[in-house]
Amino acid sequence: MKNKLNLRYIYNPFEKIAGWQALLYGLVFVALSGWIGKHAGLLFDGAIDAHLGKDVTYYQSFMELVIDVVCAGVVMYLAGLFVTKSFRFIDMLGTMTLARAPYILLSLVGLFVSVPETAELLANPYQIFTNPGFLVFIILTFPVLVWIIALMYNAWKVSTGAKGPKMIVGFIAGLFVAEVISKILISILI
Amino acid sequence: MLPTSCPSCHAHLKVRSLKCEQCETEVNGFYDLPVLARLSDEDQQFILSFVKNSGSLKDMAAELKFSYPTVRNMLNEIILTIEKYEK
Repeated sequence: MKNKLNLRYIYNPFEKIAGWQALLYGLVFVALSGWIGKHAGLLFDGAIDAHLGKDVTYYQSFMELVIDVVCAGVVMYLAGLFVTKSFRFIDMLGTMTLARAPYILLSLVGLFVSVPETAELLANPYQIFTNPGFLVFIILTFPVLVWIIALMYNAWKVSTGAKGPKMIVGFIAGLFVAEVISKILISILI
Repeated sequence: MLPTSCPSCHAHLKVRSLKCEQCETEVNGFYDLPVLARLSDEDQQFILSFVKNSGSLKDMAAELKFSYPTVRNMLNEIILTIEKYEK
């Protein structure tokens, strides 16, 4: 029973943590992801994006994360206003920020990855099998992304308290708009 | 705990008789249970705790060890149930 409960908190910790507390924990994870990501060459170039790059600077890494966090928090809050009126901005911002915590796993794995050149990869796609770090990174990306989206969904659900199809449509639309706006801002500002 | 729904068909039960323990007088009728009495034991405990905390959801969250929006959602659920019973 206890294990079952603990497992639930892996994808929905927001029943216990929200508001300023979630924002504080979330910012610690985001800062660590950004710092490790800089050394791993990992770019967070969208509200729910992470890609391997080269020569990533601290400015680039942290500015992208600031844009991602603000876009996810603000856009999801505005989307929430279409569904319900009685919820707090700090809950949405805090839970959405904490939902990004699993990105730290990709940053850590990224430290052990040597990114192959795109041209080389296109010429010989099978070379990824001789690059275990890159292979692990690719395999890990999908479950981490699913985990983050599940966390964001629960963050949205707990913060707004909404139910039914309106809640699901609001979440999908909000996340899509947050992703598009963050991409645009990153391309303009960085 | 006071039974509030029929064990056979799950419809709301009504009060048929009330009795004075002191003089044994019995009042018979067909009375509706108060809305609060129809709520589950868990919901009634929540309302008691809410009143004792002077209606502060923040204090409730600390007491129940849940986040603020979770406690607010619990309260919203109870409000919906009360509204349903009042119709």
